[in-house]
Formats: sequence, C-alpha cells, structure tokens
Amino acid sequence: MITVSHLTKTFPGRVAVNDLSFEVGHREVVGFLGPNGSGKTTTMRILAGYLPASAGVVKVAGFDVTRHSLEVRKRIGYLPENCPLYPDMRVDEYLRFRAALKGVPRTRRKDRIAEVKELCGLADSGRRIIGQLSKGYRQRVGLAEALVHDPELLILDEPTIGLDPNQIRQVRQLIHELGRRHTILLSTHILSEVEATCRRVLIIKQGRIVAADATDRLLRHMKGMARITAEIKAPRDLLAAELGTWPDLADLAIEAEGEWLRLSFHCPRAQDPRTRLFEWIASRGWLLRDLHLEAGTLEDLFVSLTNDTPAARREPGP
Amino acid sequence: MNAFLVLWRREMTGYFHSPVAYASLTFFLLVMGMTFYFLASVLADGVPGVGVMNLMFGSPFYWMTQMVVVPLLTMRLFAEERRTGTLETLLTAPVSDASVVGAKFAGVYSFYLLMWAPTLLFLAVLHGLSAEIPPFDPGAVAGGYIGAALTGALFLAIGLLCSLTTSNQIIAAITSFALMILFFFSGFLEFISYHTTALAVADYLSPHRHMIEFSRGAVDSRAVVFYLGGTCFFLFSATRILESRHWK
Repeated sequence: MITVSHLTKTFPGRVAVNDLSFEVGHREVVGFLGPNGSGKTTTMRILAGYLPASAGVVKVAGFDVTRHSLEVRKRIGYLPENCPLYPDMRVDEYLRFRAALKGVPRTRRKDRIAEVKELCGLADSGRRIIGQLSKGYRQRVGLAEALVHDPELLILDEPTIGLDPNQIRQVRQLIHELGRRHTILLSTHILSEVEATCRRVLIIKQGRIVAADATDRLLRHMKGMARITAEIKAPRDLLAAELGTWPDLADLAIEAEGEWLRLSFHCPRAQDPRTRLFEWIASRGWLLRDLHLEAGTLEDLFVSLTNDTPAARREPGP
Repeated sequence: MNAFLVLWRREMTGYFHSPVAYASLTFFLLVMGMTFYFLASVLADGVPGVGVMNLMFGSPFYWMTQMVVVPLLTMRLFAEERRTGTLETLLTAPVSDASVVGAKFAGVYSFYLLMWAPTLLFLAVLHGLSAEIPPFDPGAVAGGYIGAALTGALFLAIGLLCSLTTSNQIIAAITSFALMILFFFSGFLEFISYHTTALAVADYLSPHRHMIEFSRGAVDSRAVVFYLGGTCFFLFSATRILESRHWK
C-alpha cells in the first residue's frame, strides 16, 4: 500500500527526513514512532500529498504522490496533528461538506455519515457546533472526517494527543477495529497503544529509521532485556565512574531524589546483575533501599534508540 | 466541478457566519447610503451637467468602500485556513489547486456582488421620487455596475493573492490595501511626469478614469480586457503559488 524509497526532505538549514525507506502492506497497522522533531509529521505530510519530497520516491496504492497526487488523495484519510477543523460549522454540516468534497456519492452520503458518526461515538453530536466541542470530541470529528470516504489508507498523526485515559482507550479500540478493513499508519507517543494495536513498528530518529520490525518480535527481543532500578545513598561521581566500567550495561541514568540517587540501566536479562550490584554496594558501605528488575518494554527500546542524553546523566548537585 | 461547487458553497456560507463580513456589509451600505443622500441632494438642487451615476461610481466614497471592504473580505480566505491548520486538510482532499483558488474567489466575489444588490433599491427609490422619468440613463446604470463588478473582481483577486502569502489576516489586509492604493494612484502618474509614455500608461491604468467612463455608460473593451486579464493573472499567480508546494 505504501512504498517509500530513499525519501529525503530538506528545509532551509536542516534535513527533516534523511534517505528514509520503508513499505507498508495492505491492511497492515503500522506504528510510526520517533521523538518530537524526528521527521514523523513531515513524512506523513509527504504521504498525504501536502508537502513535496526533496528526493526519493513515495507511492501509495501504486500511485506516485507527486505526479498522481489527486489519485493518492482519493485513497487516503488523513488526520493531521492537532486535528484542524472549522469551528463555525456543526458536526453534521462539516461531515456533509467533507463527504461531498471527497466525492462520496449524494445517495450514499447520509448513510456513510451516520456510519462514521456511530463508529466514532458522535451519533448524538450532529447538531453541536465544532468550536464548542471538547478536545476529545474534536478528535472524534477529525477521525470521522478521515474515514468518511472509506479510504484504503488511514494516516493518523498523533490521534490520541490531548485525550484523557478513557478517550485514549476508546480511540485505541476504534483503531483496532479499523485495522481489520484499512491500512493504517499511526504516529503516537503512547507506546502501549502501539503494542496493543500495531502489527509492525517503525522507529525514526533525526529523519532516519533506527528500528523496523514486527511488534511482537521487537517485544520478544525486549523481553530478553531487563531494566535494573536501584536507589542508593552514595557519592554520585564515584558511582557513575565505577558503574561506567561494568560490561553489558546500557542507558545508564542517575537521578537525584533528595539525598538518594535513583540509578537505572539496561542489561541482558540472562546476566541478572542484582546480586553483584548488592554485594558491591554493601562492600562500599553505601545504603540501598530499592533494587528491582523489570522486563524490557517497547518504551525501553524507544528510549534506548532515540535518547541522546549521555549514559550517565549528571544532575546538578545540591 | 463538483468539488468547486462544494467549496464555493462553503465559502459563501462561511461569510454569513463571519462578524467581519457583517461589519464590512454594514460599512459598505452606510457609505453607499451617504452617497445616495448626496446624489439625491444634487438632483434636488438641480445642479446642471452632473451625471447621476458619476456621482455614485466616480465619487471618493466609491473608492473608499473598495479600499476598505475588499481587504476585509479577502484577508481570511487563505490566511485564516493557514493559521488554523485547515489548509492542510483542504489541500489533502482530492480537489485540484485551481478548484480551491477558483471556488474561494467565486465565494468572495458572490458575496461582493450580493453586497451591491441592495444599492439597486436606491435607484428604485430615486426613480419613484423623481419627477423627471427616468432620472438616469439605463446605459449609465448598467455601465456603472459593470465597472463595479470589474474593479471588484480585480481587487478581490489581488486580495486573495495577498491572503495566500501569509497566515496573518492583518498582514494580508494591509498588503492588499497597499497594492490597491498603488494601483489606484498609478492613474495619477501625470502629476509626477509629463512624459508621453507616462501619460499613456496613466490613461490606460487609471481605475478612477475607467469608472468615470463606465458610469457614463461607455464600456470600453480595452478597460474590460484590462480588468478581466488582471483578475485572471492574479488568480493564475495564486494557483501557481499554491501548486508550488509540490515543487521539489
């Protein structure tokens, strides 16, 4: 459904997307992850035909997004970041306008609008003015608009941003259902959402792909990793210097918490270092009040791939 | 074509939800009402040699309405959509850039023409009050309204282009106002240069002179071509600017 080949997008003074290549298959739900400013929104805008690529080829359903932009746009439902809507319109009026603009036949329009309103939980909100809706409802209107012409591909740029936990759960459930009939490219910062809804994950950083694999395979890999967390009362410099020499230890972070230091790092789960760590702390005569191990999550993978902070963060001392 | 009609209707209804449009309409009708008052006074005093439609379309009041109302109507066209982000949803819908520009222009132009419609009542009142039947030449009336339609089209196209280049409505309004002023005063080149070319250019460009001619009932084809050509030029430029986002 989507073929991106050596996509590059430059803006004056910076490269937003750098030689990006990936594919998304038919009816696949793919999570598109990356820190803010990593090029997710730019890539999605290029896919939706809003921005041109500086180099590379982008195809949707076999059509080049630049040369056959209108054909591509007919097949895409796009929910931009921040969900822009016309505040002066009523929900029904807006959906009728967008359905007509997207070429939904007049005879099908009424039924289709009723369907998407039902699907997005807007069945009783047709007469409400968009400008007076809550953020959650506006997000639903945006989703209903993206779906109104029954597109083959849905591009959703942070569809759950600003929603409360209940609304996030509802949107997640909706995306899960939509994934049975549509191809979905979903950008989000809520990684549990990706674990629950996406079959595949693409992680980008500074415009380049740093991980692309099936979600369950990444999770299996991450389950082989462990995150150790400990709270120690010890001299920070000494702790950081000595731990820095330990092998198989990644993403070391030390944060001050009152008089205590909260220490965390990743390591292979098979090499559970807790006993060794405890003995080392005891041998130094330092105090320890917490030491535990957690299985690696997608969030850990995301942080380890995209976090640029130094391995041992030095907080300003008291 | 369907997308064009859908967008045109949205633009038209958008004006009826906009306080700025109502303020513009009020200002326009107030000023035109004053024009009518002066017109009626002049006719009552029986000042000889004054064309009725000249007073209506050649007066400073006419240009005041154009200079104020047109930027107010056009400033929101693209600038507002760009500011709120709806331009992104509009331009990712399956609709051509030419349709977007054409529909927005058609929407604002329809509203502009609707604004002129009540002024026909002034003429009907004048017709009813006047002992001399008719108090004005029908050809001059038609010419005056054709002139208002043509200058309006050109100025609205300029305003649309200005709105496309910014996300700030105030900047869009000021830019279009400045361009309209520049265009208006280009007709007065004769006051700064007596060169024959300058005089010929001023004669060809002068919107004030065109309106005087139109309101006498003389619809010069050169002026018609000038206004229609200018309108097409600015709309074409706007379409190309919109398309330029696809350029690598």
